[in-house]
Amino acid sequence: MRQITYIIERFDGARKFTQEYSFSHQPGKTILWGLITIKDTLDPTLAFTAACRSAVCGACAIRVNGQATLACETPLDATLDRFGDTLTLAPLQNFTVIRDLVVGWEEKTRHLADDQTWLIPQDKFSVQNGCRQSAADFKKINTQAACILCGACASECSKLTANHNDFLEPFTYSKVWKFVADTRDKSAPERIKAILDKGLWKCLHCAECIAKCPKGLAPGEDIARLRRLSIQMGYTDSPGARHALAFLQDITDTGRLNEAKLSVRSIGVLGSIKKFPLALKLIRRGKLNPFYFPTKVKGHDQIKAILNALKESEQP
Amino acid sequence: MKYAFFPGCVLEGAAKENYIATTKVAKALGIELVEIPGWICCGASHAQDIDELTITAINARNISLAEAMGLPLLTVCNTCTLMLRKAKTQLDNGEKEKVNQILAKANIHYAGTSDITHLLWVLVGEYGLAKLKAMVRRPLTGLKVAAYYGCHLLRPPAIMNFEDYANPQSLEKLIIALGAEPIEFSAKLQCCGFHATYPAETDVVRITGQINQSAVKAGTDCIVTPCPLCQMSLDINQQEGQVVVGCSQEMPVLHLSQLIGLALGFSPADLGINMLVSGREHLLARLS
Repeated sequence: MRQITYIIERFDGARKFTQEYSFSHQPGKTILWGLITIKDTLDPTLAFTAACRSAVCGACAIRVNGQATLACETPLDATLDRFGDTLTLAPLQNFTVIRDLVVGWEEKTRHLADDQTWLIPQDKFSVQNGCRQSAADFKKINTQAACILCGACASECSKLTANHNDFLEPFTYSKVWKFVADTRDKSAPERIKAILDKGLWKCLHCAECIAKCPKGLAPGEDIARLRRLSIQMGYTDSPGARHALAFLQDITDTGRLNEAKLSVRSIGVLGSIKKFPLALKLIRRGKLNPFYFPTKVKGHDQIKAILNALKESEQP
Repeated sequence: MKYAFFPGCVLEGAAKENYIATTKVAKALGIELVEIPGWICCGASHAQDIDELTITAINARNISLAEAMGLPLLTVCNTCTLMLRKAKTQLDNGEKEKVNQILAKANIHYAGTSDITHLLWVLVGEYGLAKLKAMVRRPLTGLKVAAYYGCHLLRPPAIMNFEDYANPQSLEKLIIALGAEPIEFSAKLQCCGFHATYPAETDVVRITGQINQSAVKAGTDCIVTPCPLCQMSLDINQQEGQVVVGCSQEMPVLHLSQLIGLALGFSPADLGINMLVSGREHLLARLS
C-alpha cells in the first residue's frame, strides 16, 4: 500500500519540533483529509484549524513545502505529483504560532481595525433609505470583496518576512483599496493619507501574494492602485514615489533609464552621498559610468505622440 | 533561430557584462539576436505605479516593433519579461482596441503576433538542453552552482506560465547540461528585494546577506540567476549584507549567460566576469 508522509513542524507552547506521520494513500483526497486522518488515527494532540471544508472560511491555511495554501481545497494527489510522497507542513509564516499549525490573528485584526477596514458611508445614506450601490459599482470591488482572510498572502509576503514593523499584511492593503474604490464610502482621501506612512511604497514587488491567494485577489496590484491614487493626490515626496516618477520621467525624456541620476532623484543628494563608496566601487569595476547619459531612442517622437494622445483621451 | 532582442535598460548600464556575455553566447549557439531598434524602458514595475495605461501603451509599442520584424521578442531580464508579458496579456484580453487608438496617433499598431520569451525558456524549450549539451566545449565538471530564479520569471503564474512556480526545475536542468552540479539552497525562490532598494534599503541589504549566507551554507561555488536585477542586488549589496548577517565568505553571483559562456569555452574576461563586485577572486581561482 502506498504510504504518504507528512513531516509537520510542531510547537507545544514552549518547544518547536518536527514530527513525521505516515498513513495509507487514498486517491481523490485533500491535504486536510491527511491532517484529519492523522488526528483521528495517529495523534489526537496534533492541533490545526479547519471549519467549512469549502474554501470559504479561510481557517485551514497552512504551508505545504513552503507554499501557503488552503488545506481543504488543495488536492493531495496533485501536491504529491508536485513534491513527491513526503510533504512538509508548517504553520503560516509571519504569524505568531499558538500550537502546531494554529496561528494567532491578534496583531493582524488590530491592523484591520486601525485602518478602519469597514464602510464609512457617505452622508446621503441613512438607516431609513439604506446604503445601496449599482451592480456595476459593486463589480469594481467584487474581487477584493472575495477575501476570506485566510492569511496566505501575509504568510508569503517577502516584505513582512524581512521586517514586519513598517509594513502591513497584503490583505489589509486590499481591504483599504476596496473601501477607497467603494462608491458608497466617503473616506478615500483620509484612507490614502493614513496608508502612506504604513509602508505603501515598501512592497518588494515579489508577487508572492498574487501567486498564493486562493481567491484570485492580487494584493500587490491593489498596493499599486493605492500608490497611483496617492500620486494623483499629490503625495510624491517619498523615496518610493520619487523612484517611480524618475522611471516615467526617463521614459518621457529619452525612452531609457538614466542610472546615474536615479539615486539622486530617489533619495536626494544627501542620501546619495552616503552611497558614494558603493558608486566608487561600481565605477572601478566598470559597472557604472557617471558620464554616460542615454540619448533619445530611435522613434522618440512616437513616445511623445503616445503621451499626447493619452492626455487628450483623458480630457472630458 | 532568430529573435527580436530586448536588452532592457540595465544591460546598457550596470549589467553591461550581461549584454557582452549574452551576445557572445547566442552567437556561439547559433541563436540570432537582432536588437529591437528604438526599444523603450519596460517601466520595471515602477512607472506602472504611476500610470499603468501609459506603460501598457509604451510596451505595446515595444512589442509592435518586434512584430514589425516578424520575430518573437526575447529578453534576458525577469522584470522586462514580466512587464512585457503583462502588457501583452492585458492587450490580448480586452485592452487592444483602446490602446491601438492611442498608438494610432504615433502610427503604430499592436497586432498580438509576437510571443515574449526569456533566454532560459528558449534554451530549455525550443533550443533544447540536449543540443546545448552538445555545444559544451569545456564542461563545468565539479562546479557547484546554486540556481536562483528570482520572482518575476515565475510569478504571477497566470502570466509567467512556463513552469511550475512552486517547484521550478529549468535552471537545474540547464546547470546539469553544462556539466556542473546544481546545489539546493533554502533561498532558491526567495525575493532579492531589488525593486525596493531605495524605499526599504535596510531590509534589502539584510535579504541580500541572508540569500548569500544560505548559498554559503549549502556549500556552493557560485549562484546563477536568469535576472540581471537579482544579480546586481546580490552582488553589489553583498558586502554590506554580510556584515548584517555575520557571514564572512563572499559568494560570486553569475548571470545565466556567463555560466553558459564558461561552458562554451569563453574565458571569464570574455564574459565580463572581472566586473563582479563580490567573490570574484574566489570564483576565478575555482575556475582555473
